[in-house]
Amino acid sequence: MNPPGSLAGLDPNLDEHLSTQILAPSVHSDNPQERIQARRLRIAARLEARRREALGEYLDGKKESEEDQSKSYKQKEESRLKLAKLLLCGTELVTNIQVAIDIREIHRRVEEEEIKRQRIEKLENEVKTSQDKFDEITSKWEEGKQKRIPQELWEMLNTQQLHCAGLLEDKNKLISELQQELKTKDDQYVKDLKKQSDDICLLLERMEEQVKNVMKTFREELYNIEKAFEVERQELLASNKKKWERALQAHNAKELEYLTNHMKKVEDYEKQLNRQRIWDCEEYNTIKIKLEQDVQILEQQLQQRKAIYQLNQEKLEYNLQVLKKRDEESTVIKSQQKRKINRLHDILNNLRSKYAKQIKQFQEENQSLTLDYKRLVLQFKELQKAMRHFALIDDEKFREIWLMNEEEAKDLIARAFDVDRIIHTHHLGLPWTAPDFWFLKNVGPISQQPQKSATQIVEEMLMHTEEEEAEEAALEPESYLDLPKQISEKTTKKILMLLCDESGFLIESKLLSLLLPLEQNECYLLRLDAIFSALGIESEDDLYKLVNFFLKYRAHRLSSSLQIKSCSQASMEKASMEETSMGSELELAEQTEMEGAKEESLVEGEKEEEEETPPSPWDIHPNDVLKILEAFVMGLKKPRDSRAPPRVQKNMRNNSKDSEYWQALTTVIPSSKQNLWDALYTALEKYHIVLTQRAKLLLENSSLEQQNTELQALLQQYLNSKINSELQVPPTQVLRVPTK
Amino acid sequence: MQETVTTSALLDPSHSSVSTQDKSSTGGHTSSTGPQPSKPSITPVSAKSRNPHPGANFHRMRRIIAEDPEWSLAIVPLLTELCIQHIIRNFQNNPILKQMLPEHQQKVLNHLSPDLPLAVTANLIDNENYWLRCCMQRWPVCHVAHHGGSWKRMFFERHLENLLKHFIPGTTDPAVILDLLPLCRNYVRRVHVDQFLPPVQLPAQLRPGDQSDSGSEGEMEEPTVDHYQLGDLVAGLSHLEELDLVYDVKDCGMNFEWNLFLFTYRDCHSLAAAIKACHTLKIFKLTRSKVDDDKARIIIRSLLDHPVLEELDLSHNLIGDRGARGAAKLLSHSRLRVLNLANNQVRAPGAQSLAHALAHNTNLISLNLRLNCIEDEGGQALAHALQTNKCLTTLHLGGNELSEPTATLLSQVLAINTTLTSINLSCNHIGLDGGKQLLEGMSDNKTLLEFDLRLSDVAQESEYLIGQALYANREAARQRALNPSHFMSTITANGPENSVG
Repeated sequence: MNPPGSLAGLDPNLDEHLSTQILAPSVHSDNPQERIQARRLRIAARLEARRREALGEYLDGKKESEEDQSKSYKQKEESRLKLAKLLLCGTELVTNIQVAIDIREIHRRVEEEEIKRQRIEKLENEVKTSQDKFDEITSKWEEGKQKRIPQELWEMLNTQQLHCAGLLEDKNKLISELQQELKTKDDQYVKDLKKQSDDICLLLERMEEQVKNVMKTFREELYNIEKAFEVERQELLASNKKKWERALQAHNAKELEYLTNHMKKVEDYEKQLNRQRIWDCEEYNTIKIKLEQDVQILEQQLQQRKAIYQLNQEKLEYNLQVLKKRDEESTVIKSQQKRKINRLHDILNNLRSKYAKQIKQFQEENQSLTLDYKRLVLQFKELQKAMRHFALIDDEKFREIWLMNEEEAKDLIARAFDVDRIIHTHHLGLPWTAPDFWFLKNVGPISQQPQKSATQIVEEMLMHTEEEEAEEAALEPESYLDLPKQISEKTTKKILMLLCDESGFLIESKLLSLLLPLEQNECYLLRLDAIFSALGIESEDDLYKLVNFFLKYRAHRLSSSLQIKSCSQASMEKASMEETSMGSELELAEQTEMEGAKEESLVEGEKEEEEETPPSPWDIHPNDVLKILEAFVMGLKKPRDSRAPPRVQKNMRNNSKDSEYWQALTTVIPSSKQNLWDALYTALEKYHIVLTQRAKLLLENSSLEQQNTELQALLQQYLNSKINSELQVPPTQVLRVPTK
Repeated sequence: MQETVTTSALLDPSHSSVSTQDKSSTGGHTSSTGPQPSKPSITPVSAKSRNPHPGANFHRMRRIIAEDPEWSLAIVPLLTELCIQHIIRNFQNNPILKQMLPEHQQKVLNHLSPDLPLAVTANLIDNENYWLRCCMQRWPVCHVAHHGGSWKRMFFERHLENLLKHFIPGTTDPAVILDLLPLCRNYVRRVHVDQFLPPVQLPAQLRPGDQSDSGSEGEMEEPTVDHYQLGDLVAGLSHLEELDLVYDVKDCGMNFEWNLFLFTYRDCHSLAAAIKACHTLKIFKLTRSKVDDDKARIIIRSLLDHPVLEELDLSHNLIGDRGARGAAKLLSHSRLRVLNLANNQVRAPGAQSLAHALAHNTNLISLNLRLNCIEDEGGQALAHALQTNKCLTTLHLGGNELSEPTATLLSQVLAINTTLTSINLSCNHIGLDGGKQLLEGMSDNKTLLEFDLRLSDVAQESEYLIGQALYANREAARQRALNPSHFMSTITANGPENSVG
């Protein structure tokens, strides 16, 4: 059943495999994918084949064992069955005894139980009957006690005795019966013992027999099996021998065939060899000739080479000698160089030592110089101090000189004006009006109007507004109105009020308590003062900047929305402010010169009062004030900081206006007038000349008259003198000559 | 031989000495089994050189000594040899074994006397050969296979058994056994004792015992007949696996008394405590000891939840239904694999409780209820239990008064069950119809290998047919055992075909 089933199971597999092989992709295909596929399939097929082989082999082996090895296998099977049967039968035979004993035991037990039951029943019956009897006897005892008559009593006692005897007899009988039974049981036991020992003997016998049997049969079977194997082996040997012989014969035949083939081949090869040899000889000859020729050529070449070689040798020798000489030279040079190096080393050492010395020297020098420098710095500081002192003195001097000069100039101008006036009134006959020039009123060195401090302005402003309120008049442009026109005074005021109200935190609490009793305006002023000092607003410009800032902020806020822009605005503002601050630096320098001394006193000394109007709703919202202030302070700080260093130089005076001033002073008399004056002058000069000529002429005239007179007197005299007479040549004659 | 050479060297070259030498040399010739093959070739030369000049003594003698062919280093005992000899001689006082080289150890062990005291040898010598000699010397029949194939174990087990067998409480010194304990504790795995001697009673006491009848003597002397208490011994043996006890007296001859065979309550309690404390015990056998229900329950209670116990044998006792109920409880509270209650007094209720425990048991492999009286009720209960049980392989119900109803149920079981390999129903009243039904059941069974139906009133025909079925099953089992994988594959291959066919 097994093999066909398995074969049937395998067959479809095989078919399938074949079909797959036919359909399978080829290993030699062009497509690499296909090749891979093919290889995989091949491997799978091999595995499959191996598996099947193993299985098939097993099946084949089994078949073989059933068919080919049938003899030994059969023998084995047979003997196995036989032995199994023997063993089974033997054990059965042996155990039969046990089973028999078991069943006997069971029967015995059943019987025993039955007997036991009967015995117990019997005993119970006996007990009952004897109990009855005993009861009877005991009841009779009662009766007996009542009997008074001895005879009766005796009778009764007799009967009682009889009864008792009967009872005892019954009991004894029972006992003897039981004893009998016991004895029989003892016998039975002995018998059973004997039987059991017999059984055991039988068992032992059977076991021994069985063992013997089994051993014998085992041996027999073993012998049989061995024999079967032997036979099979013989057969196998014979068949193998036959096979071997057959194979040997085949092998011999093959060998023979191979030998003949070989012989044939050998002949063939011999022929080929001969042919080859002849061909080789010819070839050899030709080659030999060729080679000989080659040798000759090569010998020639060799000769040439030798000649070249000799030439080269000579050249080389010459070169060698040259090189040797060079070498010598180079050694000389080397030694020289070495010497040089040594020298240079010495020099280097010297230089080093010198260098070290110099370093030391320079360090000392440096120290001394630093000392000098320190001294100089001190000196410089002293100098500065002196300079400052001198500057002050210079200023003073300058101012004095200025005043002096100015006075002089003004005198001169006044004289000029007088002259002018005189000219106008006296000479020209014209009415004269005094020219009205700004510089004429100036006293002292020229400077821009000292910049007012913030508080000053505020004060002024407050005053103004007060005035305004009082007068209800339009505001008069004042000095501070050089600030941007768009800022009206009112708005400024409002902004400042707002600031004052919103930034109370900047004021010290002490001050606030002090301010309480003061008037409202004063209070405001002081507060603003404190706030400004806190914000770092010192000057007018700062104040305007602040106001501007506020206004711009508002404008910005109105136009677009809000803070982010305001920040950028602030930054823009900063930039612009920086520019302005740079621009205004010079101005500031000018101011501060003056301010330095004045400022504080001015600031302190100012108090004003003021009326106030609440900020209009369109104005800056109180909440924004702080933000604006913060932005402003941020913006203000930078320029201030950057301005700090140049502040030192602010004391330098701006003298650009001076020249102007002085120039202006010089041009008090306009050029037209000068022209007039010039013309007048020339005219007058001419006139003067005429006059002078007249005067001269008059003088001449007079002098001539005088001379005339004198001369006449003299002439008289001379002529009158005696000398004339004495002279050889009379002067009268000489006189006549010059007159000619 | 060595001695002769030395003597000849020492003595004057008298004829006698020469002759002895010649003899020895010729002996070497004739035997030609001497260790040196060169010897015979030299000896004649020396003999010749000596014989023609018997007179020249001194120089010649010296030369002879120098050329003495008998003398060689091989004959001189090596120092190691001498040392080994000495060690063997003084082994009792100075046992040196482990420090030596293996080959020397072997030599020493081969020459040691088996009579050496155990205190010296027990823990020192592991060599089986030595113990083999010890065993062979003491006992003529030795079944080493019963002792795990170890001669040493066998020696100690049998030695201990001997001591226990002849231990008489009260007279024998308990130290005899307790002294042995440290020596044998590592080797004894099985204690098999088939007799426990009762304490010796004075003849004065014996006589009244004889005269008075059996009833009174049990009461009188019960307290005094306690046997050896195994507690200390069992606690001491660290590898004890099997305990096989029979409270019995052998060879009592004419001194027979009933109370010699008593298994008292104290014995029972001490035994129970001992086995409870022994956590290595795998097999416990207490047979032929008149164990009744109460004692059985005491013992079983001590065995509940024992970690390793695998086999319990209480055969040939007086256990009834209550004891059987205890055993059933034990089945569900231990890993018991073999339970033997053969030849007891278990009846239907006991069998029913056993069956109840068996129904869901997964450990028990073998159950033996031979020679009880469970009758059909018990048999049916057991058969019902076997319908759900998947573990039991051997069931012995021989001699249990079973009859047809049990057989019908069993035939149903046979058709279902695939684990049972052996059933014994011998000595029952199965009857003809029962036999037929069993045959029917057998026809569907492929696993049963043994089915004993002898002397159970079954028709011979059905018995034969059952035998045929069993034979087929056996063949199948053999095939399965020979090549399990192939068998499985063929089965799977055949399965679908069969279903198709």
